[in-house]
Amino acid sequence: MSVKIEVIEGGIPHQKIMIGGLVSTLVCLYLTYLNVLTKTEMFAFFGGLAMITALIWGSHTIKVLCSYGIGTGVPSAGMIAFGSGVIAMLLATKFAPVMGIPTAPIVALVLAAVIGFILGYISNNILNMKIPAMVQALTEMAVVGALSLMGFAALITGGFSFAGLTPIKIVVTSQGLVPTSQYSFLGGGLIAVAFLLGAIAIQHPFNACLGPGWKQDRMLMLTAECGFLSMIVAAFMSFAFISTGSAMISLLVAILGWAYTYNQYICLSKRDAASWLDAKPIPEMEGH
Amino acid sequence: MSAVAAKPQAGGAMNPTAMAVGVVMLVIILALCWYVSPGAGLMALVGVIIGGVLIGFGTHFVPVGGAPAAMGQAPGIATGVAMLAAGAGLAGLFGGAWAAEQGLVIATLTGGVGGGLMMAITCMMVNFVYVFGMGIPAASGKVANDPITGDSQKEFKSQGTEGHGLPFVSFVGGVIGGFLGGAGGTLIYYQLLKLYEATLPTMIGVPLVQVMPIAIAAAGMFAVGLFLVNAVLTAYNITGTIEGPHDPKFKRWPRAIVASAVASALCGLVAILIVVPM
Repeated sequence: MSVKIEVIEGGIPHQKIMIGGLVSTLVCLYLTYLNVLTKTEMFAFFGGLAMITALIWGSHTIKVLCSYGIGTGVPSAGMIAFGSGVIAMLLATKFAPVMGIPTAPIVALVLAAVIGFILGYISNNILNMKIPAMVQALTEMAVVGALSLMGFAALITGGFSFAGLTPIKIVVTSQGLVPTSQYSFLGGGLIAVAFLLGAIAIQHPFNACLGPGWKQDRMLMLTAECGFLSMIVAAFMSFAFISTGSAMISLLVAILGWAYTYNQYICLSKRDAASWLDAKPIPEMEGH
Repeated sequence: MSAVAAKPQAGGAMNPTAMAVGVVMLVIILALCWYVSPGAGLMALVGVIIGGVLIGFGTHFVPVGGAPAAMGQAPGIATGVAMLAAGAGLAGLFGGAWAAEQGLVIATLTGGVGGGLMMAITCMMVNFVYVFGMGIPAASGKVANDPITGDSQKEFKSQGTEGHGLPFVSFVGGVIGGFLGGAGGTLIYYQLLKLYEATLPTMIGVPLVQVMPIAIAAAGMFAVGLFLVNAVLTAYNITGTIEGPHDPKFKRWPRAIVASAVASALCGLVAILIVVPM
């Protein structure tokens, strides 16, 4: 059995973050369904918030797992989270709403948990890692990957049904009017961009904050900052799929959220630093 | 406790019970796939499993140095297993995807060549930086003589290090690993693409040319996901650094074969279920 190098001192216990993250992610995902109920697209930004809450939960899971010194680097944890998550998420989008209530987020949750659990069993027993947190962490991470990709899908296209991610549009080309699925979230390959936007945002915070000076609130604030940064990019992409006004709302929420979390993160960094110097840009020297 | 002493103690031991459970899981997943999609789906799943096993096995050849290599204190390329495997595999996947129209053999070989080429270039540039930039010779810490060239290693190894640079055997291992990884990734992509091309038009009810972007994107996305899962599981098997095929850790590959087969079968089944009518 490997030895745990760092212990979590103070801060919110992981169990609380997990439950809070899971519940708020699901609530935000279901709030995007207001788009269908009200026949608008202005609630797409809830998809971005779902993605951010999932990432906050996921980055703390990475902290729990990587505290054991798995010897493979922190980024690998983010990669397996989204690698297993994208597989569960794509299948889950196929499940149609039951009695008007969308089932896709719940199916994604269950499917990703099953995949993650089996991957955890494989690494812990077949590969003999013998890390106590492994099975639970990989299960959580697959769920985080699946739900945050679903959040990206809702943010960019306004929904998360398979038909909504792969619509066939008639476009004007040099051969005349051609119906094609090229201009969609899946067919256009935007899912690959969302994949990496999420994968980088989930692994960066612990990679950047780890060490003896690790503080929980600082790391989670950095996660929120990375999440809003990814949301800005995704909100730009959403201009291609949803109405301009709705995309503007998403962009505004993303920029305001990013500015707030960035400021907070700088404040927390200053709080935890031994000392800091506000270095100005190189001044223009006159007459030298 | 210092971080050095706290390295994972996974070791090379096999866990026979878990291996047996893994094989049983593999059989169950294959049976499930046979139940939902006996013809094309099962064939695709077998291809996906072979591809995943190629990735898992190939990753063991790649010389991974990690952080110690960045400081010139261990041989290998200075990054993690998952990043290197993903780099080689995705380079191969992009190469192979171009050749997908020319059939299974050419596509898989093209993918392999793409991955091998990427690793060859990486290994060469790494040695350039080590030799001309950092001024250190290539020396293995795990063997006395290079298994291929027979060159003695001990004289070139600095005291207090595990070797440094990229000895010839590591270079060859990297190219073999890149070839296997690229070929495996392309095989997964090719199998899923052919399955989606055959099933998506009837499922959505439009001609193939209209859903081709979806088939390509879904197959590519699943291939990337499967690749990352396999690469990270292999990284967990190696736990940290490996010098190449001459490293004692290389002997752990049977565990990775079982792990990759089960993980690929599981993820492949989910990828196939997306085109099974429900």
